[in-house]
Amino acid sequence: MTDLTPVTALGASTARRESFGPLTITEVPDVGLASLALRQGQAVPTPFGLTLPAPGRAVTGKTASAFWTGPDQWMIEGPGQGEADFAARVRDEAPGCIVTEQTDGFVVVEITSDAGAAPLEALMEMLVNVDPGTFGPGQATRTAMHHLTVFLLRRAEDRLSVLVMRSFARAAWHALAETAGRQAR
Amino acid sequence: MLIPHPLLGARDAQEFTYLGDASLMDRPDPNGPEAEAAFCDYVFLRDNPAGVHRELWFHEQGDRSWLVVTRDTVTHEILGAELARDVKRGAQT
Repeated sequence: MTDLTPVTALGASTARRESFGPLTITEVPDVGLASLALRQGQAVPTPFGLTLPAPGRAVTGKTASAFWTGPDQWMIEGPGQGEADFAARVRDEAPGCIVTEQTDGFVVVEITSDAGAAPLEALMEMLVNVDPGTFGPGQATRTAMHHLTVFLLRRAEDRLSVLVMRSFARAAWHALAETAGRQAR
Repeated sequence: MLIPHPLLGARDAQEFTYLGDASLMDRPDPNGPEAEAAFCDYVFLRDNPAGVHRELWFHEQGDRSWLVVTRDTVTHEILGAELARDVKRGAQT
């Protein structure tokens, strides 16, 4: 049998992490992801005890979190559950809903600032056409960054997550690192 | 150009793709009388107004919802946007 070596979305054996001045960009390889959609007329479930958020919003729970991706659609995140059958767990928590495995489709990149919101908002202004003033903690949206479609989540004043399609991991990293690096110079 | 998305607020028009006249939502009944002529009009004929126009836009790099956007084709002013599914459901009831 061939011996297979697991690699992260950026092709290394460990997650990549780079710092540029106050900003640190980290690849998060172990997040379980599943999309959840309602069938027509179906009641909204409460998977993992989460109240599924309104348009443009995200919620964080103890074992999982969720963000709105479209009318009657959400993405469920399970931190540390990247190697589990996360979709099956979501399916158990939301009986009858349409649940699709997304773990291997995306890469999560976390951007943190150790100098408050300002460097993070400056980075957003360079990369996406979303108003950082109204995109506060608890907001989540899907938008375009360097022609790539990404999910943006403002987890806190000084913390932003970017979910990008896994095959575009390097392109997204390039966009983030170049811009953050230019800002730090 | 910004499009006032009914759920998400003002969004960059670059996130959207344009389909065309909102009359595309009113597909003729294929079993109705003169269905062939009705489909010929539906597929090939469009009004081309200089002024207020209702058109379908897809929020492709966003929440992937279809919108009916009312736009003035002379000034490019966006006069409003509704979710296409609400428009369709409103028409049915």
